Amino acid sequence: MKNRLRVLRAEHNLSQADLAAKLGVSRQTINAIETEKYEPSLTLAFKVANLFEQPIEQIFTPNGDKPGTNT
Amino acid sequence: MRTVAGPNRGSRSLLWAAILFVLTLFVSMAVGEMPQLPATVRVPIALVPAVIFAYFIYQQRRQLDTGDELEQRIQLEALSIAYPLTFLLLVILGQLERVITLNPEDWDYSHIWPFVYIFYIVGLMIARKRYQ
Repeated sequence: MKNRLRVLRAEHNLSQADLAAKLGVSRQTINAIETEKYEPSLTLAFKVANLFEQPIEQIFTPNGDKPGTNT
Repeated sequence: MRTVAGPNRGSRSLLWAAILFVLTLFVSMAVGEMPQLPATVRVPIALVPAVIFAYFIYQQRRQLDTGDELEQRIQLEALSIAYPLTFLLLVILGQLERVITLNPEDWDYSHIWPFVYIFYIVGLMIARKRYQ
């Protein structure tokens, strides 16, 4: 699964540690999601979507689809 | 909001439980080699490390509950490596016992359980590396 987490984090001027604290996870988890080594649970994905105030499909997309292009 | 980064009180409890386990293990081993002591003394002392280890498992379980979803996944993957390796070791020893006599000085229960924990640590290292 592809994601735009790194881009969104940069846009909001947040460090990985900042984002981790806001989401209640470890910095390692944020890093693993950004590097696409780990796919977050739906619960965490929705937390991310709520935090950045974007639809979940604008942030996370299946492999092959360009993130943020889903309708 | 829950934060999970960095060492916490749970980690320290876990470390202290591990240290206490090793210390009581050495004491029980020393007492076990004192045949002049009655079994009513040696048996309870021999079981003290097991009680401490049960506490260690309890602390580890609590630590896992406070971890985030990635940490829980890492622990699960570590166990998914450690469990079959432990099973494999027991199968090998069981099969060997059918055809040869294993020296109990080398292969009694107390020699096997450290392998179980080593397998868990190996599994943990592999799982952590995967998500680094």
